[in-house]
Amino acid sequence: MAEKRVYEVMYIAEPETAEDDVAKLNETLQGVIEKEGGSIVKIENMGRRKLAYEINRKTEGYYVLFEIEGSGREIAELERRMRVNDLIFRYLTVRVDEERKSAEKVRSKRETKRERRTGAFRNEENTDGQTAEARNNQ
Amino acid sequence: MDADRDFEATDVEAGEALRVDKAPRRFQRRRQRQQVPDYIDWKDIDYLRRFVPERGKIMPRRISGVSAKDQRRISRAIKRARAMALIPFVGD
Repeated sequence: MAEKRVYEVMYIAEPETAEDDVAKLNETLQGVIEKEGGSIVKIENMGRRKLAYEINRKTEGYYVLFEIEGSGREIAELERRMRVNDLIFRYLTVRVDEERKSAEKVRSKRETKRERRTGAFRNEENTDGQTAEARNNQ
Repeated sequence: MDADRDFEATDVEAGEALRVDKAPRRFQRRRQRQQVPDYIDWKDIDYLRRFVPERGKIMPRRISGVSAKDQRRISRAIKRARAMALIPFVGD
């Protein structure tokens, strides 16, 4: 409960679905998520797209992407709703917070490495200065 | 009869010659170690497409030249994209 999880949920609805119906559908799904304690980071209507392969004799689909933050309980209810919905014929949930975190870690590690490298360079200059000083003393 | 035997003999020889050629064969990396972004997005089909040639199969590591860890991340992303019909399972 303590840590928030971030999910990406994408669904594909019938290509003939009217924009209004998609909006209505998104609203009800949003209601479900919020009722279960999740919050929506963003909703992205990707619109009508060609499917890479046929699904149920369909060659097109209406794609919608949700980004959700929550405990995971809302996902169970959301998936159940999507399963019984006639408009939605495929969905996928991906938990993204962990992978994003590890990507962030890799990035910051690389940055500190770079910093250390420039730091080492500065030290080199310092030792150079010292030797010059030593030379002056002699 | 004699001609037949001759033909067979040369055939075997050719085969052996081929095998001898193949014996020390070792895979040569086609490209240098490839840099891969820190976060691989399963929705970024344009990027993933680079690892999915015509046939639709995931490019093996020995050809793509990515690290084992990155290969796992890439193939996971490709499989997710396939499930959502963003990338085909089989190409033409």
